Amino acid sequence: MRQGLINEGAMGRNRVIRRLGSAGLWLNPVFAYFFLWAPILILVLFSFNESRSVASFTGFTLKWYSNILNNVMGAESAFSTEIMLNAFRNSLFVGTVATAISTVLGTMIALAMARGRFRGKRLLDGLLFLPVVIPEITQAISLAIFFKVVFDWVALISGERMFPGFHTIIAAHVTFNISYVAIVARARLADMNPQLEEAANDLGANPWQTFWRVTFPLILPGVISGALLAFTLSLDDFVITFFTAGVGTSTLPVFVYGLLKLTVTPEVNAISTIMMVLSTILIGISLAMQGRNASRA
Amino acid sequence: MPSYDVELKDIVKDFESGGGSVRAVDHVSVEIADGEFFALLGPSGCGKTTTLRLIAGFEQPTAGHILIRGRAMEGIPAYHRPVNTVFQDYALFPHLTVEQNIMFGLQMEGVHKREALKLAGESLEMVRLPGVGERKPHQLSGGQQQRVALARALVKQPAVLLLDEPLGALDLKLRKNMQYELKALQRDVGITFIYVTHDQEEAITMADRIAVMNEGVMLQVGTPKEIYEHPQTHFVADFIGETNFIAGALIERGADGYGSVRLQDGSVIRAQLSETLGGSAGAVTVAIRPERIGISTIPKALEGGTNPSEITMLEALLVDSQYIGTDTRFTLRIGESIELVARLQNVNEREHAALRIGQKVKVFWQDSSTTVLDR
Repeated sequence: MRQGLINEGAMGRNRVIRRLGSAGLWLNPVFAYFFLWAPILILVLFSFNESRSVASFTGFTLKWYSNILNNVMGAESAFSTEIMLNAFRNSLFVGTVATAISTVLGTMIALAMARGRFRGKRLLDGLLFLPVVIPEITQAISLAIFFKVVFDWVALISGERMFPGFHTIIAAHVTFNISYVAIVARARLADMNPQLEEAANDLGANPWQTFWRVTFPLILPGVISGALLAFTLSLDDFVITFFTAGVGTSTLPVFVYGLLKLTVTPEVNAISTIMMVLSTILIGISLAMQGRNASRA
Repeated sequence: MPSYDVELKDIVKDFESGGGSVRAVDHVSVEIADGEFFALLGPSGCGKTTTLRLIAGFEQPTAGHILIRGRAMEGIPAYHRPVNTVFQDYALFPHLTVEQNIMFGLQMEGVHKREALKLAGESLEMVRLPGVGERKPHQLSGGQQQRVALARALVKQPAVLLLDEPLGALDLKLRKNMQYELKALQRDVGITFIYVTHDQEEAITMADRIAVMNEGVMLQVGTPKEIYEHPQTHFVADFIGETNFIAGALIERGADGYGSVRLQDGSVIRAQLSETLGGSAGAVTVAIRPERIGISTIPKALEGGTNPSEITMLEALLVDSQYIGTDTRFTLRIGESIELVARLQNVNEREHAALRIGQKVKVFWQDSSTTVLDR
């Protein structure tokens, strides 16, 4: 073909490919969101369903929500409002303590990673993502085995037998929460101009004063965001909690799982909906904090 | 003994980089007097900012000593040094108001809040920015932020103020105004300024003395006039302003600081030898500024009271001319291979108009305008 001539065939092919491409781009999110949200929408929908059966939607009701608060459930159910509220309290307790510990440790790790110079920094950097990527069940089993080994050692040395409980759940939650806090806080630190710390130094602030007066206020949105994320993950966690819980320390997800063993009742739908709304709010705040412009803090 | 504010004694700074090490500052020694406006000038990566950071205490020298007001700075952290820095991107604390930014350094010294507030207000007035104390830095323009950074550093009344390309982020017009203001401010407060810049014009117009750096080495230290008129190395001559470099061979060294250089076309000229010129005669470069070269069609025109023996005159061919506003740039050829650029101010347009491209002319200059450098 001579130079300067337009290849009509190639143009036509390209046009078809472009059309297919743009249709694909449009359809892709539609499918993605459909598969993501359809099951959740059904769950929410049926938590307001008049009928006990999920076969059809017969009318709107709030009675399942009032049932879970008023201890009214079918005879076949092992449900009790008191046990549920107790589980919820457990969840809040575990979440609060685990979040507090992991926020402090995670922020410290983020600082070390962003500012420190030490051997093995890159290795630590990689390891930080481990709890994010490894299957939860693997982590759960490894923690369960770890605690058993530790308890065996303690029994061997002190002669006293320890049992799993809140301390094991909290320790387990801290192990995965640290990563999330550190990752979020470090992103914030990376956005921060390191010259600000030098400027503080230059103006007579020692490292301690520099941290509390400059670094910490500037990364605070990141730290809070990380903490909210950690708290949400703690509240929602089932697998790891299930493997590390002791007697009487069931959290809300573990309690819900117990209900499911019998049958999926509309009340379970209602509890799940409440949990989902709570988590969504927390994550929303967390994202909003992350999005805050670092230069205008 | 003269009073020096800052003394650098044989400073070396190496940075580790991927197994090897890079020398950022290479045996730098210099003394900066009390109240001096001292510019560190050089291209990016020449070690000027590293030198500043060593004085500030953000980096520690690999070898050598730094003295500030006669006191050795070894082991003294940045927050205990009597110096303050104006950072290139200002580094104002975004979470604090302008006032709180300025008060920060005072509060670290333990100055009472009411007193600090008063001093902050005064220093804002000094940089001509009153009434913005309540605002956050991001609500100010770049030029205003620059002034706040200046006020924040000056309010501490440091022995030495370190400025790292403080005008680099401003637009040209604002930069010109700030140059003038900074210089006036420095004269008023009498604090020693060490000013890092890559802008030779900025250094020349503001500084009392300039140190030209390249590849970590301090090549020449002197007043702007000395640096401009008598560059001691090829790099300095090339970096500061426009220069003609004429290759030649040194055939004779006179006792008066002048020597004879044979140019490529065979003509021999008399030229001033630089202090750093190597011992043996040989290949050299003669440097001469374009504005020092005169052009004439009438040889008579240059007899203006100057001793003709101190003037060099050569035959040349006018190759090109270019109008550049205040000046006209003429490109000239001497012999076959020597090209020269001459800049004539456009004060006498008729005279310039008389010069035609392709015309044979005379070029001339005073011998004292030349510098013979190692090639």
